[in-house]
Amino acid sequence: MDILMIGGVLLLLMLVLLSGGVWIAMTLAICGWVGQAFFTSTQPGKNLFSAFWESTASWELAALPLFIWMGEILFRSKLSEQMFEGLRPWLNRVPGRLMHTTILGCGIFGSVSGSSAATCATISKVALPELLKRGYNEKIALGSLATAGTLGILIPPSITMVVYAVAADASIIRIFLAGFLPGLLLMALFSGYIIWWSLRHPDQVPAADPPMAFMEKIRLSGNLIPCALLIVFIVWMLIAGYATATECAAYGVVGALAMAWWSKSLTWDTFWQGLMGTTRTSCMIMFILAGAAFLTKTMAFTGIPRELAEWVSSMHLSPLALIAVLTVVYLILGTALDGISMIVLTSAVVLPMIQKAGFDLVWFGIFIVLLVEIAEVTPPVGFNLFVLQNMTGKDGNTIARAAIPFFLCMVVCIALVTVFPQIVTFLPDLVMGKEK
Amino acid sequence: MRRFLDRLYLAAGGLAAVFVLLIAVLMVGQSVLRELGVRTGAVNDVVAWFCAAAAFFAMAHAFKHGDFVRVTLLLERLGPRPRRAAETVSLGIATVAVGYLAWSACLFTYESWAFNDIAQGLLPLPLWIPQMSFALGSILLWIAVVDELVIVLRGGVPTYVRAVAERHAKGDFSSDV
Repeated sequence: MDILMIGGVLLLLMLVLLSGGVWIAMTLAICGWVGQAFFTSTQPGKNLFSAFWESTASWELAALPLFIWMGEILFRSKLSEQMFEGLRPWLNRVPGRLMHTTILGCGIFGSVSGSSAATCATISKVALPELLKRGYNEKIALGSLATAGTLGILIPPSITMVVYAVAADASIIRIFLAGFLPGLLLMALFSGYIIWWSLRHPDQVPAADPPMAFMEKIRLSGNLIPCALLIVFIVWMLIAGYATATECAAYGVVGALAMAWWSKSLTWDTFWQGLMGTTRTSCMIMFILAGAAFLTKTMAFTGIPRELAEWVSSMHLSPLALIAVLTVVYLILGTALDGISMIVLTSAVVLPMIQKAGFDLVWFGIFIVLLVEIAEVTPPVGFNLFVLQNMTGKDGNTIARAAIPFFLCMVVCIALVTVFPQIVTFLPDLVMGKEK
Repeated sequence: MRRFLDRLYLAAGGLAAVFVLLIAVLMVGQSVLRELGVRTGAVNDVVAWFCAAAAFFAMAHAFKHGDFVRVTLLLERLGPRPRRAAETVSLGIATVAVGYLAWSACLFTYESWAFNDIAQGLLPLPLWIPQMSFALGSILLWIAVVDELVIVLRGGVPTYVRAVAERHAKGDFSSDV
């Protein structure tokens, strides 16, 4: 049978199993098994074992539970309450005033957490009631929270990036570093939109809180200092090259525990709950990675990705056209799959194609994270929409409509990153030197 | 039986959590020792095995808890009857697939033991010892899958569906990336 036909059969099987609700990790492994058992002469049992064992017993992957844990600890601490109070006094003179707390809050929380849903939920829990109480526009507040929550996976540390780095066999630190500038760019775009909107609708921006003395402002922000120190510490460790990503994550956990203890929100109960939650989430992700590792072996045996990459390059698509096609594919996948499954599912096939077309794997990692962010805020299964829907009781589509302007900011960000790839590669190249 | 199984899954999950904790402790310890000039290369192997243990021991608990992701887009549009049928089919497929996984895990861990495979890294430990986490964890996951299949066949709602619904109703999204 033609190799691409085999690929088609496996793809069809995968779609049937996935849409029927079979767990994603199992679906990947089943497709891998079918591919090996029927189209190659290898021993699928032995390969299944070694794929699961080798992909899971990995020192590199040990960073994943630790980064998840760090976010879990802070998610259960008082950080989010402190965030709003700490940011509040400084925004009186900016057009849009406290509306920016959503963007800044998500940006800051994103630099200690690696999850989009957790960032969105944490910041919304505090900022949303405060904003609505003061009479800020609900639509802008909802839209900005839904989209800015996705900064959690763009600003390092990021669970999605760790998964991509493992799947693409790229350096975790390099991809983390690559995330900073696009993250800041996206924050600037979001805040820029809020400023522009506020200047056009001055009547809809409530009056400022009464002015405060400078020392009073510092006192209110004092609670943010531990968090700021933690962020600076992690960024410094990453940039100075003192620690590997895994060590950096371990120190992040220690710092987060110290912060939670300092703010008196660390009890035996929250500690254990956070640890159990971490274990479950990382188990889920590692199970998917293991299933994908087995499927990747099948791909290597059958040669489907190589054939596909040849086929794509024989079409002489321009690199931009390839990116455009992939964007559409990912947007479609994003309507049904979560970000991590999307990345793991496609990496075996898409990455060889991307490399053949001459793209940088680190750049593509950021690009894919941005697409995942978009998927989080687009119906029918944008997870951030679901989070806000649960928190506010509003219909998901209403929230999605509120998010449209911010969604467009993301599209602009993707376009900028594609046209000027230096936005992504500048920082890692500066810190770690050019690749190869 | 019900209480025994639930405790078993939870205990294995707790064991996995201890391994996550140990990874953090080892990583910090290693970087401190390295600064002091102690050779710590073997720690990397241990961390990798602990990482595997953390994943494999937690599988049954995470599955029961509803953390394993799946596409629910179509499932959620189905009425109660077809939905139950779909769950039964999914769990049936999962029973076969995880059964095969557990069988491979046990078979090749046994081979490691029988051929006395030794780890290649700086810590020459027989490989079957760390691989036991894979064998035991996958057997436990298979038991959990069969357990759910029995619940659904008896007309119950799967535990993983109920757990997720309860969690989201409480506004807890910490399990979602």
